[in-house]
Amino acid sequence: MILTVLALLGMQQGIADRLSGRVPPDVGAVVESLGTDAAARGLPIDPLIQKAIEGSAKRVPPERVIAAVRLVVMQLDTAAAALRAGGMISDTLAIAAGAFAINAGMDAHDITNLVLRGGGQTVVNVRLELNVAGTLVAMGVPSSEASNLVSASLQSDSPATKLLSLPSRVQGEVARGATPAQAAAGLARAAAAQARRGPPPGHPQPPPHPPAPPHP
Amino acid sequence: MSEYDFHPLVKQLLDGDITIADLPAELRAEGEEALRLLAAVDRSPVALPAVPQRVMRALTRTPQRSLRWLLAPALALAAALVLWLGGGRSHGPIAAPGAVVTVHFVLSAPDARAVSVAGTFNQWDARATPLVRTGANGMWTATLELPPGQHQYAFVVDGVRWVPDPTAPAVDDGYGRRNSVLTL
Repeated sequence: MILTVLALLGMQQGIADRLSGRVPPDVGAVVESLGTDAAARGLPIDPLIQKAIEGSAKRVPPERVIAAVRLVVMQLDTAAAALRAGGMISDTLAIAAGAFAINAGMDAHDITNLVLRGGGQTVVNVRLELNVAGTLVAMGVPSSEASNLVSASLQSDSPATKLLSLPSRVQGEVARGATPAQAAAGLARAAAAQARRGPPPGHPQPPPHPPAPPHP
Repeated sequence: MSEYDFHPLVKQLLDGDITIADLPAELRAEGEEALRLLAAVDRSPVALPAVPQRVMRALTRTPQRSLRWLLAPALALAAALVLWLGGGRSHGPIAAPGAVVTVHFVLSAPDARAVSVAGTFNQWDARATPLVRTGANGMWTATLELPPGQHQYAFVVDGVRWVPDPTAPAVDDGYGRRNSVLTL
């Protein structure tokens, strides 16, 4: 109990140090409080600090900065709940990636499905999937299509890191006249077909996904 | 840009990822046609300029279609190019912990007096990462090494105007503007 209190006090001081000189004092005080509460719930605090600093850098009035930070907290809570519903244990970077995806327009339900379909994958892969899915949604791909495409690509035995090529592949199809939804659906069908046939001849089975690095 | 719109599996065939035998029967004719077209391509050696020049030329061409509706005339072009470090990878980023990815930010702003890029990677500090004016056509560039992950950013023109990258996906910044997204 004492250790927990000390840890939270240290956390609050850490937030104060990062915000010092970057945001008005009244904003800093609210963000410290929000950040301490968020940390106690297992949420990452970096997105809150970043949003506060961003708002001040953009010369946004303090009340709007605080409102934006509160919205980030809500998105983090939603993402954490969606990950838990998918059976994923708490990982602050995965929660942050989920909050990004939600901010991009992804449904919490699709985040849960993405994690469930991944079945026991590493947290590193979950972060990657959420970042890529969020990016696809930001490009105009509907949430469910983005989730399907990422899942299908993983199941096609491609290295997880190949997910990073999906946004540019969707962009290429859009440049040829497809809508983002059509592009994602077509790529998902191709990935599913690939998964049914197994790896191409001459292509060895991809190496296992990288192990998770130590928790930050 | 190709005028042909092949099935994604046929594109994999052209990329050498699969063979014609791997295609479903209904796609084999399309695959054979694609291979025939590929075989007809002139492969005689072509002298290419150095990579940075090719990159810059590509940048001056590709985004112009979107600029008409995205930006004021002063900002004719912008892009963040990702160059993977570590060599030998055919696709994807570096998954190794501690690895970095080189990202080349480019903005065309002929009338700007100063341009910088601010984002999650530099604590949104509009003075931390200035772009350098290159050439006489108003191109501004900066190269950064960033860790893998998701980054958000915007260009800052003349210290006051926050401009998203029109060639990158963007999300609501919570302040009535858009942040560009870079996923590495």
